[in-house]
Amino acid sequence: MTGPALQVEGLETGYGEVQILWGIDINVPYGTLTTILGANGAGKSTLLRAITGIITPWKGKVFFNGEEITKVSPHVRASMGLIMVPEGRLIFPGMTVLENLEMGAFTKRARTRMAEQMDYALSLFPRLKERLSQRAGTLSGGEQQMLAVARGLMASPELLIFDEPSLGLAPKLVIEVFETIQKLKEEGITMLLVEQNVRLSLAITDYAYVLAEGKVVMEGRGDELEESEEVRRAYLGV
Amino acid sequence: MLATWLGAVLNGTLLGLLYGLAAIGLNLIWGVMNVINLSHGAFIALGMFAAYFMVHSFHLSPFIGVFAVLVMGVFLGMATYFVSLHRIISAPELSTLLATYSVSLVIIGLGTFIFTTNPRAIDVRMGALSIGGTVLPMTRVLTGLFSVGFILWLYYFLYRTWSGKAIRAVSMNRDAAELMGINTTITLALAFGIGVALAMTAGVLAATIFPFTILSGGGYELKSFVICVLGGLGSPLGAMIGGLILGLIENLITLQIPTSYVPFLEFAILVFILVVRPTGLLARR
Repeated sequence: MTGPALQVEGLETGYGEVQILWGIDINVPYGTLTTILGANGAGKSTLLRAITGIITPWKGKVFFNGEEITKVSPHVRASMGLIMVPEGRLIFPGMTVLENLEMGAFTKRARTRMAEQMDYALSLFPRLKERLSQRAGTLSGGEQQMLAVARGLMASPELLIFDEPSLGLAPKLVIEVFETIQKLKEEGITMLLVEQNVRLSLAITDYAYVLAEGKVVMEGRGDELEESEEVRRAYLGV
Repeated sequence: MLATWLGAVLNGTLLGLLYGLAAIGLNLIWGVMNVINLSHGAFIALGMFAAYFMVHSFHLSPFIGVFAVLVMGVFLGMATYFVSLHRIISAPELSTLLATYSVSLVIIGLGTFIFTTNPRAIDVRMGALSIGGTVLPMTRVLTGLFSVGFILWLYYFLYRTWSGKAIRAVSMNRDAAELMGINTTITLALAFGIGVALAMTAGVLAATIFPFTILSGGGYELKSFVICVLGGLGSPLGAMIGGLILGLIENLITLQIPTSYVPFLEFAILVFILVVRPTGLLARR
């Protein structure tokens, strides 16, 4: 397959009568980190909901690995390897850390590689290894974020989507999260990142889209956008 | 005197285990789906009639036929889920409450029409066991043992199998479960199916001890609410402990006061716990 891992074409959608997205085109090429930036209410979360299948697009198409998935339900997308680390972590609080990780490998294609992925995830987050039998709800916010990322890796993702992974974390932990994403990027995992932290995102991303009022208003390589006056003024506050 | 107490404890334990099993389906559905299944008692009564027909039409022991009822109950429950609950599962609780109440009315209405409300009983003679001067009918002993068996099976299923873990994951966070590749619709249907199946199973076992009508599930349903409050939601072992407490209270208290006070006492306990510890006596949080 030569096309991108994920391709969004002319996507329009919203809630009820309210249209949020007005024709979004996005590509996530294999082995790269692509970032979607934008202020609150720009439509980032709605776009991710359409990509993961939680809401259905009104118009436009979504392709994954060259296959159209516009109307495929979320759990089927997950079983194809399209995995999201959701905003606010959404771990399973009453389960142990180990069980949370196992649930990450729920799909048939992930189950066969569970042991391998478990070793890999725990090597990235040795702190989780010490807490395998602890109930996930008792972890600290930073540890829960690690668990959410590790759970995503358990799925052997073909595309790993991060929805605002730094939200609500202390600055030191934010940097840790970005270091992890950087590390995963070096491993060649295809990723889509949605973030509010423009500076850190642009520093590690290959390509970025800027969303405003439900449209892509700007796109370019990470370093290009970093230099751009417009982005600086609108989002970096410099 | 001591023998009387021993008898009450033994009977209370065996009956308590049955109460625990009767409550576990309500507990599971409530805990996982946040649905209060008001058709719970009706399904228990259906289980009783299943026992009646397996004895009278097929000459099958209820203690063997109960496994068939368990399997059929899962399918019946799943079908009920798709007919009555699936479209309103995300609606406010009143909708699901009314939906399950309707299911209850349908079952009891049809049951009254077909079976009438004349009491029935099944005659399973299996001898008796004598412990320390207390004579326990074998049916009672088996009912207690089978109840423990089914409760442990549910525990094993929920904590050791992929489908069971999926049910627990869905109960904690439906969206996250869907994102992990869990088909949450099928999982919810399965949870409801297992809840209904266990209710019917309890009905089969209860029918070997007590006479019944199509309305007999109601009493068990009310006891199940008390047990859910005693043991907390979401834990099979909590339901078992809650059942044991209720069974023992019933049997020990009736040594001193008339049986007719039992429902009053049970609901006094329910109200007391709801006021003092609304999350349940044994609940973690």
